[in-house]
Amino acid sequence: MEALPLSEPVLLILLSLAERPRHGYSILKNVEEMSGGRVRLSTGTLYGAIRRLLDGRWIERFKEDDSSRGRQAYRLTSQGRQILRQEVSRLKQLTRVASLCMAPKET
Amino acid sequence: MLSLCRYLLYLYPAAHRFEYGEEMAAVLCERQAESWNSGVVARWVFWAREIAGLLCGALQEHVRAMTGLCPWAVFPLRRFSMRSEFRFPKATAWLMMVILAAVVMAIEKAKAIQASLPDTHPYVGPIQPAQFTLISSFVVLFVGGCVVGAVGWAVLFALRRSGVQRLSKLRPSGDRSSGGRLSI
Repeated sequence: MEALPLSEPVLLILLSLAERPRHGYSILKNVEEMSGGRVRLSTGTLYGAIRRLLDGRWIERFKEDDSSRGRQAYRLTSQGRQILRQEVSRLKQLTRVASLCMAPKET
Repeated sequence: MLSLCRYLLYLYPAAHRFEYGEEMAAVLCERQAESWNSGVVARWVFWAREIAGLLCGALQEHVRAMTGLCPWAVFPLRRFSMRSEFRFPKATAWLMMVILAAVVMAIEKAKAIQASLPDTHPYVGPIQPAQFTLISSFVVLFVGGCVVGAVGWAVLFALRRSGVQRLSKLRPSGDRSSGGRLSI
């Protein structure tokens, strides 16, 4: 399984599932929405990533009860949530450092 | 285009298709319905992205299924690993014994033919430098390596395929397999 730092699509998929469990199409739409239309995953790419995340037990699959079609949905596992927290914390630190470096220096 | 994408799903390994094929087809249907609202150019871009994604995904899954390695990992230091769902078919042991018996029989037959013929071997002189070139040796080695690699790949492919076929005959149980057989 891929280690930190996560690729942008994987990070967005995990963030999408952190909010609530979703099925495939909902993940695609949410990723597109979160990235402001910049990241548009194809179905093949999405399911490749989902398969890897399932293999690494970062997410799990379950059948939606409230769906009339009985679709398969995905949700974060505790391990996945922990990794997502680590990645977000890493990104926060990076942003802080970047802000410090780019701030206008007093002479 | 949707039909084309459905056919492209057949490029995926059987195990992946069995697990995710229906879902992927359903997502493609939903995305197609959504794409009708966009312009012609946007629709073509969308389908190009989908087709490229399916082709790349199928290639990645095949590489992973055959080697157990992630194709994006460069020079991974891992052995050939069997997937957890891989079952070594019992017929393989019999097949290997039959091949061994055939090889032994062929050797014995050749020895018998050699013994039955009179000794008419002509004198073979030493190999002249003109007859022995490095390039031809490399070519022979390369071709030999290719043949050995192809045979090895064919054996692995046959083993994997028979394992997947046996798995597909099993009735799925549990949550992960509740999607049933692929019917695209």
